[in-house]
Amino acid sequence: MKKLAILLVVALVAAAPFVVGGYETNVLMNALLYVILATGLNLVAGYCGQFSFAQGAFYGIGAYTTAILSRDLGTGFWFNFPVGIAVAGLFGLLLGIPALRLKGHFLAIVTIAFQTIVYLTLSQWTSFTGGQTGLPVPSIGPVSLFGTTLFEITSLRSYFWFTLVIAVILLFAVWRLLQSRIGREWIAIRDDETLASAVGLDTTRGKLTAFVGSAALAGAAGVITAHAMRGVTPDDFTIWISATVVAMMIVGGKGTFIGPIIGAVLLTSMPEFLGGFAEYKMFLFGVLLVITVTLLPEGLIGRVRRLRERFS
Amino acid sequence: MDLFLQYLANGVVIGSSYVLVAVGLTLIFGILGVVNFAHGEFYMLGAYAGVTAVTLFGMPLPLALAVVLVFSALLGFGAEAILHKPMKNRDATSSIISSFGLAVALQNAALLTLGPQPRLLKTEFSTIPIELGPVFMPLQRALIPVAMMVLIGALYLILRYTWTGRSLRSMSQHATVARLCGVRVERVAVVTFMVGAALAGVAGFLMSSVFMVHPIIGNMIVLKAFTVVILGGMGNILGAAVAGLLLGITESMTSAYLANGLRDIIGFVIVIAVLLFRPQGLFGKAFERS
Repeated sequence: MKKLAILLVVALVAAAPFVVGGYETNVLMNALLYVILATGLNLVAGYCGQFSFAQGAFYGIGAYTTAILSRDLGTGFWFNFPVGIAVAGLFGLLLGIPALRLKGHFLAIVTIAFQTIVYLTLSQWTSFTGGQTGLPVPSIGPVSLFGTTLFEITSLRSYFWFTLVIAVILLFAVWRLLQSRIGREWIAIRDDETLASAVGLDTTRGKLTAFVGSAALAGAAGVITAHAMRGVTPDDFTIWISATVVAMMIVGGKGTFIGPIIGAVLLTSMPEFLGGFAEYKMFLFGVLLVITVTLLPEGLIGRVRRLRERFS
Repeated sequence: MDLFLQYLANGVVIGSSYVLVAVGLTLIFGILGVVNFAHGEFYMLGAYAGVTAVTLFGMPLPLALAVVLVFSALLGFGAEAILHKPMKNRDATSSIISSFGLAVALQNAALLTLGPQPRLLKTEFSTIPIELGPVFMPLQRALIPVAMMVLIGALYLILRYTWTGRSLRSMSQHATVARLCGVRVERVAVVTFMVGAALAGVAGFLMSSVFMVHPIIGNMIVLKAFTVVILGGMGNILGAAVAGLLLGITESMTSAYLANGLRDIIGFVIVIAVLLFRPQGLFGKAFERS
């Protein structure tokens, strides 16, 4: 039943570009990318309990890895995609090391500092990253297997479907990961770190894997974004992106699988419903964020679950 | 050597604004445990209020300063009602998110009503040059560190010798015990936000003659203020004052002797190093509490 529902939702999303126009498809694709980012953040913040404000930085690291690789080595998407994920994961490991010693606000601030350093490096190191103007990135282009071209990823629709496929694969992988031993270790660390290490869990490994996993997902989203947008600029990877991803996770409900997905879709599409008030969309985004956090501290999913408990 | 002194003076001017913003931030964090991302917007709106008061209404500087103080304090009053009052007994993440939302809302409100074109404050003091040995700067710029010292000095005296100040300090030491001793916690929260916002607003006004004023100036200043708060030790006012000046001087020296591009990065690199090796801050004492 549940599997059927998921298949139905995926099929509906996949059919969307036939119904709606190019602009809406673009919004949907953005939503998919944010689903990947928010789900990644949820691994480290929702399940492992380590707050991070650096998702935008890993997103940028993934995007710039592919941009710089295709500029300097001329390699294509299929080579850059795993490399981008690996590089972002490596930086995730780097950020995870201070996280072993710090908690709460201090950890939050280290991740903020990391995010800012990455942004400033992207915008200031002009000879390597192109500075404020950014770098152009080629399209993914034709996808061929054994010499025959299967299809081409150049149009907006094809990028949308491609992103959808990647997102579904990544979400499935995350789902399996959360069911596995490592996922349960993360939850144990979040709920009581002392207890987790007392029963023999390797909390160091647990935290580091959560950071790496979270960063790797953001890196994947970054590589796709760079190719889909045909370019990267530092302003796409500011702390405000990180904060938006955090907001998506919180609004949806952190520590639940579906919460960040719903949060990402809601917050990406919300400004589009404002119609005539489009001018005010960022303003209303801020106001809505304040209201949601104040009224729904456990997120939408948390509230729904509590209501369900009350009525059953 | 002459240039070195000039860089030092420039660093002190910039550092003074960091001190004013960071002291408010560290007060709000130390006393209420609120991580306030909207603090940079107090700075931005204070700058706009001041520029408007001087250029549109032709107020003299001291009067404009008073207007900025009152206006920012009112902002702080409003921010407390949004960020702290409904958020009691929640973890810090809630205040991080809602203050981020408030920051976005205020920035865009400013963008919608005031427009994106940057402004610069010019007053009768901007053109009076003063020279101290080899150091040269307009009088208005030289007044910034002076104003900072007066304000921080006044704050220090208030915290040390008045009942309000004592109740603020007792809250930062232990909120529950303070409440048991009859400290009016709600009032302290409001006062803390008002003082913090007023300091940031004044900093924005003072700096409006040095840097252009536009709706997103708050972003970088709040991040830098956070680094200052960490360097000084969370909740440590004197630490924040010293660290703010140090950051300003370090930035000025970095852009002068290393590379201009490194100017904004250096503070964040230092903060990560400090958190790794001395998490209690440069001037903080390590302590444990159950």
